[in-house]
Amino acid sequence: MSPQARSASPAWPFSRVLIANRGEIAVRLVRACRELGLESVAVYSDADAGAPHVRAADQAIRLGPTPPTESYLRADRIVAAALATGAQAVHPGYGFLAEQAAFAEACLAAGLVFVGPGPATLAGLGDKLAARRAARDAGVPVVPGTLEPARFDRAAARAHMAAVADDVGWPLLVKAAAGGGGRGMRRVDHRAELQAALASAAHEAEAAFGDGSLYLERFVQDGRHIEVQLLGDAHGTVVALGERDCSAQRRHQKLLEEAPAPGLSPAERKHLGELAVRVARAVGLQGAATCEFLRGPDGAVWFLEVNVRLQVEHGVTELVTGLDLVHEQFRIAAGEPLSRRVLAAAARAASPERHAIEMRISAEDPAADFSPQPGRVTHWREPAGPGVRVDGWVGEGTVVSEAYDPLLAKILVVAEDRPAALARAARALDETEIGGLQTTLPFHRWLVREPAFRAGGISTEFVAHAWDGAVQRETATTVALLAALAADGTLLGANGSPEAAPAADLPVTTEWAAAGRREALEAWPR
Amino acid sequence: MTATDGQRSRRAVLAEAGTALDRAPDAAGAELEGARDRLALPRPVVLRLPGSPAERAAGQVRREVVAGGWRFEVTVEDAARAALRERAGRVEGDVAGPTRLVVRAQIPGRVVSVGVRDGQSVEAGQRLLSVEAMKMENEIRAQRAGRVERVTVKPGQRVERGDELAVLA
Repeated sequence: MSPQARSASPAWPFSRVLIANRGEIAVRLVRACRELGLESVAVYSDADAGAPHVRAADQAIRLGPTPPTESYLRADRIVAAALATGAQAVHPGYGFLAEQAAFAEACLAAGLVFVGPGPATLAGLGDKLAARRAARDAGVPVVPGTLEPARFDRAAARAHMAAVADDVGWPLLVKAAAGGGGRGMRRVDHRAELQAALASAAHEAEAAFGDGSLYLERFVQDGRHIEVQLLGDAHGTVVALGERDCSAQRRHQKLLEEAPAPGLSPAERKHLGELAVRVARAVGLQGAATCEFLRGPDGAVWFLEVNVRLQVEHGVTELVTGLDLVHEQFRIAAGEPLSRRVLAAAARAASPERHAIEMRISAEDPAADFSPQPGRVTHWREPAGPGVRVDGWVGEGTVVSEAYDPLLAKILVVAEDRPAALARAARALDETEIGGLQTTLPFHRWLVREPAFRAGGISTEFVAHAWDGAVQRETATTVALLAALAADGTLLGANGSPEAAPAADLPVTTEWAAAGRREALEAWPR
Repeated sequence: MTATDGQRSRRAVLAEAGTALDRAPDAAGAELEGARDRLALPRPVVLRLPGSPAERAAGQVRREVVAGGWRFEVTVEDAARAALRERAGRVEGDVAGPTRLVVRAQIPGRVVSVGVRDGQSVEAGQRLLSVEAMKMENEIRAQRAGRVERVTVKPGQRVERGDELAVLA
């Protein structure tokens, strides 16, 4: 039990919170609980017994075997765990059950506070087409396309889609109504390819979501992914806290996010915020949410969807606004109105005075199409120093399971403006050392130095076009081989036999490397 | 000393592409500083990898090197030994007559096992026998398809450079 285990306010309906998640977000939520004087209960699968989020929490309870379907996705076991440990509230984090209306409903039915929006909001926004219709009804421009789900297995629906496709315009996207993460999504450049794309997208959506319904959406060429952070309280107040640019993506997976979005005028920022608030009001948002937009090269913005949860990238907004969004989520869940601090941050959101960048360090090989690289971390050194924040869950010896998301840590930096933030990002990445498995670190080192990215305003297609991992890896090969040779020079005995080298200590840090690190430390900008 | 990038089982290919480096450790250190500066790379992290007993016995050290975030598995060993061992694994035969091929030992060693019988048909690349040399087991493979006319050696037998190991017809 934490020494300051006293609820932030005795009036709150909860003092003990079950964290229904794992990895970095579970650690981050436990930290917020400690700061607020809330007790935390962790849950874990067999693979996560003894994991950092388990050790960080005040108590922990096992959910089941490693597969998420038998542990972190088991709403019944999570609710039972909350009741068994006397928790009065559940925070779902992101992913897993965070946006499942049935889970929120189960929590409420068990008398637990669900830290998030109500089941009705979740159900309404989980349906992407319902969200599109709600946005249109609120007078917010939506990407041109269809607004009703169509079943590909019905001939009439197929014919209708073919008929309206020309109105939507080419190229277009076929999307799954129940979709997410790019599954059930196809880009179609020509009318002749439409039927084949519909068939394969319906098949994929049926397999992934149990619902093969599709809709069409115009493909916005050179579009940017810009999203607005929202907070809404139980008293009807909704505010926008500024936007984030998440255009650095690979196969619809975000790699780097920043706030504010480069190159937008205060008027554009204000406009985006107003559109997002309009959508949130229309759906009765309560809690934290993100309204996603597509911004065309001409500056036109189109509504995409609303995510009614804490986002992975919420930290960049925290660094720019000075707020703690998890603290605010708990206050909202406790029934408090949005504070003066939040309202003031919202009023300043269109003229941000800081710039923040988040880099997702994942166990993926950026030279092999970002394929997952599960394994054991044998060496871990995080960046530190002014303006650097690391939200992670990994250390030396951590085993990264293929059963879960490959995210290891989020390196966040904040500075007075974008150039300073980019310089700080480059510095922080160069301080980072990870051994044992390949990570996305070299991709981020490249991106923050890449001229088009530095200029600002890259589109969501930029990474796929500009990144060549194999070439980038090749450039480091000679240095790696030379380093191995130089290191072994200090380890070899007088007779040149490697057997004379110390064998047991893992990892070996050579004198040469240690001296080098000291020099590098001295060379870092103050 | 020589270092070879062995990740992704592309070791031979990478060595051919010039990623096997042969330098004295001191020279490598100096050269490294230059290359690192040129590429604006932070100092690489050098970690030790366990390595198999055979690799250790053969005087090889395996390293994990992380340079600019890229992870490499590198084999470091004495350059002369590396050259010898590479030769041991390379299959060279001399053509005796219009169709027969005599497979000979490239360095001294000991026959560990024989994988084919007299008269057996083999595919190109199929293992014929293994010879331990430089404390490493080296597989001797058929460089073309054919029939094993005879295997000249037995497991446990010592062979000298140039000894006949097998004949393909």
